[in-house]
This record gives sequence, C-alpha cells and structure tokens, in this order.
Amino acid sequence: MVPRILICGDIEWAQKECDDLFNGLAELVHMDSPDRADFLANSRPGGKYDSIVGIYHRGGRTAARIGDLNKELISQLPGSVQWIASLGAGYDQIDIDACKERGIRVSNTPKAGDDATATTALYLIISALRLFSHAERDLRAGKWKSSHNPGAAHDLTGRTLAILGLGGIGLRLAELVRAFPMRVLYHNRRKVEHAPEYCEYYPAERLDEMLASADVLSVHVPLNRNTEGLVGEKMIRKLRKGAVIVNTARGKVIDEAALIRALEHGHLGAVGLDVFPDEPKVNPRLLDFPNATLLPHVGGATWETLRNMEIRALTNLRDFLTKGHGEDLVPEFRE
Amino acid sequence: MDSPNRADFFASLQPGGKYDGIVGIYRHNISADHIGIFDKELVSKLPSSVKWIAHNGAGYDQIDVVACKERGIFVSNTPGAVDDATATTALYLVISALRLFSHAERDLRAGKWKSSHKPGAAHDLTGRTLAILGLGGIGFRLAELAHAFPMRIVYHNRRKVENAPEWCEYYPAERLDEMLASADVLSVHVPLKKETEGLVDEKIIRKLKKGAVIVNTARGKVIDEAAMIRALEDGHLGGVGLDVYPDEPQVNPRLLEFPNATLLPHMGTETCDSQKKMEIRALKNLRDFLTKGKGEDLVPEYKQ
Repeated sequence: MVPRILICGDIEWAQKECDDLFNGLAELVHMDSPDRADFLANSRPGGKYDSIVGIYHRGGRTAARIGDLNKELISQLPGSVQWIASLGAGYDQIDIDACKERGIRVSNTPKAGDDATATTALYLIISALRLFSHAERDLRAGKWKSSHNPGAAHDLTGRTLAILGLGGIGLRLAELVRAFPMRVLYHNRRKVEHAPEYCEYYPAERLDEMLASADVLSVHVPLNRNTEGLVGEKMIRKLRKGAVIVNTARGKVIDEAALIRALEHGHLGAVGLDVFPDEPKVNPRLLDFPNATLLPHVGGATWETLRNMEIRALTNLRDFLTKGHGEDLVPEFRE
Repeated sequence: MDSPNRADFFASLQPGGKYDGIVGIYRHNISADHIGIFDKELVSKLPSSVKWIAHNGAGYDQIDVVACKERGIFVSNTPGAVDDATATTALYLVISALRLFSHAERDLRAGKWKSSHKPGAAHDLTGRTLAILGLGGIGFRLAELAHAFPMRIVYHNRRKVENAPEWCEYYPAERLDEMLASADVLSVHVPLKKETEGLVDEKIIRKLKKGAVIVNTARGKVIDEAAMIRALEDGHLGGVGLDVYPDEPQVNPRLLEFPNATLLPHMGTETCDSQKKMEIRALKNLRDFLTKGKGEDLVPEYKQ
C-alpha cells in the first residue's frame, strides 16, 4: 500500500516540486477539516486521515481551523504517524514532548527563511533608530514631518547591535549590518565557533555587560519553555536609556507588559516588532506609541522564500519516506 | 539672521542695515520658510562684501549659482556628511518597496493584520539588480550597503567613476536602455539642475521591466511625477519609495492612494548625528574661506 501523507495548509508556490517529490511515492491527502472536532473525528480508525504516516504542517491558516498541534491533538493522531514536517524556522506551535512520547519526529525549515527574515529585522532596526514609521504616518496625515524630532533619531553606522541568539537568522543579520558597519555583539547558549571574528561573544556571566553596550537588541531565539518571557523587565532595564528592541522571532519571547512600561517611561527609544504574543491580535497599546514600527509577521513573506520553505518541508517528508529521516530534524530530537 | 520675511531681509541688507558688510553666509534650506530661496533677485541684493555662501546640505538647488558667479560669490555645499544617512534612507525605501512593508504596517494599524499582503508581489533583495542613477557619494554608499546582500549593482553616471569597485558595473549613455531593462530597482541620486529636471520621464520609466521599483532620495523634480503616477496606475511599476517631492511640503494626494508606495517626508538626513556633521562641515567651509581664502567643498560649477 502506498504511504499516505497529510497536507495541512496549502502548497502555494511549489506545487510542481511537490508532484515531482511524491509522484509514485505517496498518496497526498489534503486536510480539509473546518475545525478541530472534525479533524479529531477523522483521525480515528476508518476516518479520512486514518493510516497517514507523515504530516506536512503549515501553521497560520491551519491553526485558524484546527488550532495548534498541542498535546491533545498529538495524542489523538493516528498511531501510524511518524513524521511531522513543519514549514518555517519556528515550530513552537507543535508540542515536541507530546510528539516524543508518541514516537513522532519533527522537522522544520531552517536556512530557507534566513535572508528574508534578517532583511525584515534590518528594516525594523533602521525604522526604529530613524523613527521612519511615525514620519510616514505624519506625512499621510498631512503633517509632513512636523512632529519628527531629529534629536531622537540616529544613524546605524558606528552603533552597537546586540543579537540574542546567533542562529542562521541572527548571523545573516550580522552580515547585513556589518556593511554600515555596526558593532556586533551576541549572546548564545554556546559560543558559535564558525561565527566571523567581528561577532563578539558574550556568555551568560557577561550578559549585563552586553546589554549595557547595546544601542539595538535584536531577538533571534526560538520560542520554547526556556525562552518564554526571556526578554523581561530585568533585561530591558539593563539596556541603556534610549536603546531600541527589535523582534522577528516570536512575540512571547518578550514580556510584552514590561516592553510597554519601558516605552511609556521613555526607557526604550523605540521598538520594531514583526511578531506578537497572540497573533493576529496586536495589543492596542502598542499602536499608541509614535516610536513603534509594527509589521504583521511578514518576516518570510516573499514568494521566493515561501517557495523554498515549502520545498524544504516537502523534501524532509520525502526523505523520511525514502531514507527513514529528514535532514532538518529539530534539535530536541538530537539531544 | 532673524528676518521674519523676505522684505525685512532685503531691507536689512541695505547699507546701514543689520546685515551690511557681511563677508560670508551660512545657509540652511529651512531659511526659505522665512525669506524664500536664494534666487537671482535675492542674490542681486546681497551686499557686495559677500564672498562666500556655505550651504548646509548636499543639494543646493535653492541657490542660483549662476547669479552668484556673476557677482563673484562662491558657494560650497556639504557632500560626504550626508552620504550615510541618505543612503540608509534609500536602502530602507528599497526594502520597503520590494517587500511591501509600508502597506503591511498600515493594514496592521487598521486592524486588518496582513489580510491584503500579497507575498507573490513581494521580493527579496538578494540576487536582484539595483540600478543607481548618479554614482556620487550617496549613490556609492547605497551601492556598498546593497552589495552586502548582495544585490547586483549597475550604474549610470555622466562619466565612469574610475575608483569605483569592480562590482559597480558602469553603463554609459549609449547603454542606458540596457541598464534600465535589467533593473529590479532604480534609485535616483543625481542633483537637481536644468539638465536633470524631469530626467526620469515616461521613456525611462517604460524602459524598466514591468514590476520594477523606483526609489528617490534626491529631488522630487528629477522624476516626472505624472509619468510615475501613470506607471503606478497601470501596474507597470511594482512600487515606489519616495523621500522627496516636486513641491515640498506638499505631497500629491494621488500618491497616498497606491498601496505599493512608501512615502517619507524628506527624512534623508534627519538625525542629530548627521545634522551635526553637516553643520560642522558647512561652518568649516566658511571658516576656511576666512583663514585660507576658500572652503574645500566649493560646488562643481566653479571647477569647470
């Protein structure tokens, strides 16, 4: 019997590649449940999704219908499921512990989104330091630049960027800002041996020192138990007054209430955010700050990048079928 | 200079007036709000003692240099000091225009999240081609920043820039069409003068490939605004990123209607860091005129 693969979320850009990858190899079943109840019902023996061995998972729209792949859902997947190939670098929507318990492995798509996401982070850094978002809003409101304060606006060149998490995206951002140049500092669980010399490593013992020298703090850690609320009141207050925070990782890594307080008090000079704790909702308080640049999670939103991510996720799934494993097994399974 | 208006300024320039006997002038465009621009009329009324006008800014189109030359008055500007901040602004506009970020933020702020964002029309910079019109200080600084991705850099200039790096590919006038056809982004970096007014016209715009993007941090009048608007209306241009307009602070309301337009209110050098550098540069030119007889940044029109 040909293995069955469940496709959760549309294949928008790589339909041809998808056909090529699975032609003669697997039967693709499209997840069309309108809600979680229907999904769970069809995951039972005899249901539409019975005997699937792998799942292609694209969050966002899938979550809108069936919710996250949390413990409840994972525990009710057909016993035949062995691999979930998630699209995107972040996979916090999937309960990894629950997958491990059921012998299901998970892959993501690192690298494919590095360039587009780092470019988004760079855009947010420029916008935050230069107060461009507010300037455009003023122009569109017929005010030209009447409330722009150049005293609060800064160039990038010669300033210091602190990167929290020097993975693929953080490293790519370091490359882009090096062109100005900005001075690049980073904190990571472990020193990144292959990082260029200009990336100055700050271990946990020296984190406060790093924060105190930063003009910009850019967040590039995945969201998990250890990183939720990582950028909290303490860390934010260790930054110097007027510093800027940029987040293209996950909203929940930052304590939003602490961030808002720091904006209210003028401790933070500005913020640039592409992600929020409860998307698509955005805390209305953020809209009040003139020095906030806010994007609706478009970090990887170019067709080239989305296409590459789709191909990467599908390839992981195909490799699981042919070799027994995909290349982008997430770190939690390698420990 | 504290004249509230042009008439008062002219009166104060008269013999016995407040500004009689001045030998040099430090000038910033903001003064135009009170006394208007340094056109032929104003230049003709300057005391004959005036020998140097040190302009704060790279663009000095608000000064009638021909009239100054006729009166034996030299003019300096502040090249270099503006390069980094202006090029950074251009880079921001390139990213915003290619990625459609301005509209994405507007949608978020209107409570629509990203419901009308089309990734199909949004592009990465890496591997794409940036055509620079005018490889002066600002154009070259932008080339450096864009090359970091890398973008492929092609440029047109009146003359080849001899000390430009190899990766800046020169296109002379005879090959301008070829350059335009290969560009994903056209960024404007020429000063505004008679020869460049309306330079980016219907013809040039239509030579760009469909979906290309135009960025302007130079002067609004270098682009034929009506032609650009038509090209946005019929979808020939994929987007625009503008920091300057033909008649600032007025902005053609038609531009506000295009979702794929990023519009800044002439923010190119609006940081305390750059403004300080520019003030120092202009004042230094004036000081050097007093001590050495000339400032370093004499504008090109005097070197011909």
